[in-house]
Amino acid sequence: MQKVGIVGYYQVKLYSDANYGRYEMIFEASRGALDKAGLKKKDISTVISCTNDYYDGRTISNCFTVEVGGGYMADESKVEMDGAHAVLYGLMRVLSGNHNLAVVWGGSMASCYPYHAARLYETDPTWERPLAYVNDITSAGFQMRAYMEKYGVTAEEIAKVVVKNKKNAAKNPLALEEAQLANLSVKDVLNSGIYADPVTELMVAPPCDSVAALLLAPEKQALKITDKPVWIKGVGYNQDAYYLGDRDLSGCKSMNLAAKMAYSAAGIKDPSSEIDVAELFEAYAHEELIFAEELGFADKGKGAEINSAINGDLPINPSGGALGGNPPCGTGLIRVIEAVKQLTGEAGEYQVKGAKKAVASGQIGMCAQNNILYVLEGN
Amino acid sequence: MHRFILIIILIIIKNEIKMSEEKVIVANKGLVRADFAFWVGQYLDKFYDGLENKKIMGNKCPKCGDVFVPPRKICGKCNIVIPLEENWVDLPETGTLMNFTTTAYRVNDRTSRKAKDWTIGMIQIDGSNTSIIYRLLKMELEDVKIGMKVQIEWSEKTKGDPSDIKGFIKV
Repeated sequence: MQKVGIVGYYQVKLYSDANYGRYEMIFEASRGALDKAGLKKKDISTVISCTNDYYDGRTISNCFTVEVGGGYMADESKVEMDGAHAVLYGLMRVLSGNHNLAVVWGGSMASCYPYHAARLYETDPTWERPLAYVNDITSAGFQMRAYMEKYGVTAEEIAKVVVKNKKNAAKNPLALEEAQLANLSVKDVLNSGIYADPVTELMVAPPCDSVAALLLAPEKQALKITDKPVWIKGVGYNQDAYYLGDRDLSGCKSMNLAAKMAYSAAGIKDPSSEIDVAELFEAYAHEELIFAEELGFADKGKGAEINSAINGDLPINPSGGALGGNPPCGTGLIRVIEAVKQLTGEAGEYQVKGAKKAVASGQIGMCAQNNILYVLEGN
Repeated sequence: MHRFILIIILIIIKNEIKMSEEKVIVANKGLVRADFAFWVGQYLDKFYDGLENKKIMGNKCPKCGDVFVPPRKICGKCNIVIPLEENWVDLPETGTLMNFTTTAYRVNDRTSRKAKDWTIGMIQIDGSNTSIIYRLLKMELEDVKIGMKVQIEWSEKTKGDPSDIKGFIKV
């Protein structure tokens, strides 16, 4: 693969109820990324956005965001999945050889719409939707139970992921304030109320408000823009079956296949020793363990045994991950940005020492139906 | 008969502006109705005819042999059409509980309308290869175990739609 560099980024702080107009937030992110990289509107050659018509309350919602997202009189398009998928589209546009600078932005404001009701529109209108027993709440319970039952993993082990990520979020000034919990205990997590048994409230990545933006450029251009580009060494993506009843929810085969594809492109043979840090989009705490196993960091059912603290053997979600705040359509993009920060040494209090290679993942769909993984490397 | 499932979406035309000290919110009141009608297709139409008569019908992929409930036109794994006039399988009203969860949340609101707990199960109808998702009825949570045998509790009056299956009870 030709070298494509990440040359800039910006993330709006996560809020549970932001006093922002939607446009202001998009502008702050896309303009913020340009400013940080010392670039101007005229430098943009393509803009890829990631939002969702249901979340935006209007159809073809990118038609309204052209000006604020930097797409005015530019090549512009939208991805209606996770922000990490928008990075893929941006990457492809740059690899086409026609573009010198892609702006990729994504996010939404979950405080403005009934998140769970909007997600019900993912279900089959001719079969599951009328009764609504299948939804993003119940599917979380199915997934965690399937994983625990198959491997004998305990709720305590899964609660530890929450304790770690919320503690990490406390070091991340851009994380959701309500998720910055430095002194949380396993007991607190287990007693935080049933969401969908065995998932408890604190095991859920809290939907919130934010927009983030990322800049991509081909090698030659990237080196002109910054002396600290981060290179995309590999990307993999894969999609599982639609109906939950067709899938093995105890694992995540689509993440496994996405990882194989990304590792093969990046020449990664032994991920647990070659990868220095991982930023994974865990919509629920148990997904971090499932993903870590599918990424080859541990054997199946042994994800909880990884020392994944910031100073651990393989730090996972040092930023706090999605448990530190989950702005729909922005979360996977923020994982990519957080991995970039680690590789450029800009992660502040949650910096992993000497990080050279990172992975970042995004997902969309119930029980992470569709997964995407990037392998990134510092210059 | 062409069977439709109606989904009603309210389209917004009237704006209501609320002001508080910190924030001005434009809340939308729906006045225009847009009714979405999804034709369920020939396969589900036949399936719903069966439900109306308290019968479960699946269909079998001629290539991989997987049996689907509800029936499907396409086997996604094999990427082939399962012919409409062939491969139908009559299935019993019993099955195995594969997974379950309990929640007090309804999908329309998680913040203020906390309802009574209900338990939702994934049930594999005997002789099929996929699970369907319904409520578990008339059982204590302590008695719910993965792998237990369950059977359909039919609605008193069937209508030929997903609500004909009221839920599943212990065998």
